[in-house]
Amino acid sequence: MSGATNFSFANLHDVELATHAAAGERRAFGELVRRHGSAVRGLLRRMGAQASEADDVAQDAFLTAFERIAEFRGEGAFAGWVKRIAARAYLRRLHKERRLGPLAEDVADEPDAAAPDADAAIDLDEAMKGLSAAERVCVTMCFGAGLSHAEAAEALNLPLGTVKSHVKRGLEKLRARLAPGDDASLAGRRGNG
Amino acid sequence: MAEVEFERRLERLFADAPELPDAAAFASRVERRLATGWTARRWLIGAAGVAGGVIGASQLIMSNLFQRVEAAGDSAKALQQGISQLAPHEGWVSGFADGGAVVWVASALAIVAMGFALTRVIEEL
Repeated sequence: MSGATNFSFANLHDVELATHAAAGERRAFGELVRRHGSAVRGLLRRMGAQASEADDVAQDAFLTAFERIAEFRGEGAFAGWVKRIAARAYLRRLHKERRLGPLAEDVADEPDAAAPDADAAIDLDEAMKGLSAAERVCVTMCFGAGLSHAEAAEALNLPLGTVKSHVKRGLEKLRARLAPGDDASLAGRRGNG
Repeated sequence: MAEVEFERRLERLFADAPELPDAAAFASRVERRLATGWTARRWLIGAAGVAGGVIGASQLIMSNLFQRVEAAGDSAKALQQGISQLAPHEGWVSGFADGGAVVWVASALAIVAMGFALTRVIEEL
């Protein structure tokens, strides 16, 4: 019986699952977690969180999302909505633990990680390692969580210009590291996502 | 132009996150936490509902309800006597005579009703 129910949830669209979840159906929300849990955890790791910390924050983010599921109207992707919740939750944690201080520094001459060979195809996670903490957080918030520069600046409590600088430098470094055809090579290395 | 293309490509790379090997275990942990929170909330709501019902019913009882119902019982007796004079064989209002029992039944029903109502209100909140 429950197997049949789970099967039906697996066939539903995210918006339909969110509607079921809003009606208190936790298994529908569980299906959403199964679908997007890795994406949210991956985003937090790319922001610089350690694996266990990323999992903690992601769990809290999903619980918050369940509490606020009625606010999700399906205008955007569910994954994007949860990612924004998770990114903001991670930033709150950084603020609380006073680990966000260095991000405010607009360091132009930060030592750069060694650039890989031009021919070597590296994936995004590998390329992100060459970014400073500030660049990583800003780039991930803007391109991973879908926040605008202004929203990221507000969430980070940083001047807009500082965020734009971090993003610009981060993009330059990523462009240098990601080989042109890396989309395909990255897809080939993925699991069943 | 190339910059825009690169940004789009980057967005695709971010969106296309790899599935982590423990994805199912992670989902189970979240579901467990949801279930735990839900159970705790239901207990809390139930306890609040019962407490609210008891308080509400006690307020009703304390506000001279007993005397009022007793008075209603007396009125019912007077009414019954009047009816019996008019129609001596009709005894259908005899149940009203026992005013004390009515009070306790009404109180019990009030507790249940207020508990139910409060539970619903808290759940809606």
